[in-house]
Amino acid sequence: MHETVFYIATVWMVGLLSACLVIMVRSRSAMVRVLALDTVTIMLIALLALYSDSRGVPYYLDAALVLALLSFVATIAASRYHSEGKVF
Amino acid sequence: MDGMKDAAPYIADALVVLGVFIMTAGVYGLARMPDIYTKIHAASKAVFLGAIALMAASFVTGEPDIIFRVILIAAALIVTTPIATHAIAKAAAERGEAMRTPGATNESTYDLTETEATILEPKGAARLRDFLGE
Repeated sequence: MHETVFYIATVWMVGLLSACLVIMVRSRSAMVRVLALDTVTIMLIALLALYSDSRGVPYYLDAALVLALLSFVATIAASRYHSEGKVF
Repeated sequence: MDGMKDAAPYIADALVVLGVFIMTAGVYGLARMPDIYTKIHAASKAVFLGAIALMAASFVTGEPDIIFRVILIAAALIVTTPIATHAIAKAAAERGEAMRTPGATNESTYDLTETEATILEPKGAARLRDFLGE
């Protein structure tokens, strides 16, 4: 039963990820694209946590941690580039 | 203690279902809300809380290795998500993204009235062109 729940949750979250990517590509505002990219990364982190929990392997979570920190830096850089014209 | 061990996978299942539901609500809000300021409300908070719920599921069933890494990731997300969201909202206000919600009132000093331009050129683009010499 638990395997079934994890399987359905993984498939559903991949569908959500695709929907979020479609929103990011089709949006006409640049800041909505930055927000959608941030959302995609957080959902990817959650997907990696789910996968590592179902397999019982902790090494996927290292990639998830790196992804969390990199997405923070990327969002800050993109929004500062769009508002103030420079990153630093 | 024995009963707790038996109940742990069911608690994890419930947390996974809860997290996926919250994420679905967040992505639905991201698709349906009219402007960037309301999209931030839906997407950022909901998806972040869904990820925290999934990590709580890992926390309930996992081994020590998984538990320590999950706590680290959750702490990183809790610290960084509000800062990133605030940066996005501030950048949107400074670029003058319009408020399209019916009946919305603007109490800030930024000019957020609706204009024709939907895709604004980033302010860094002119600086980049100067730098590249085009």
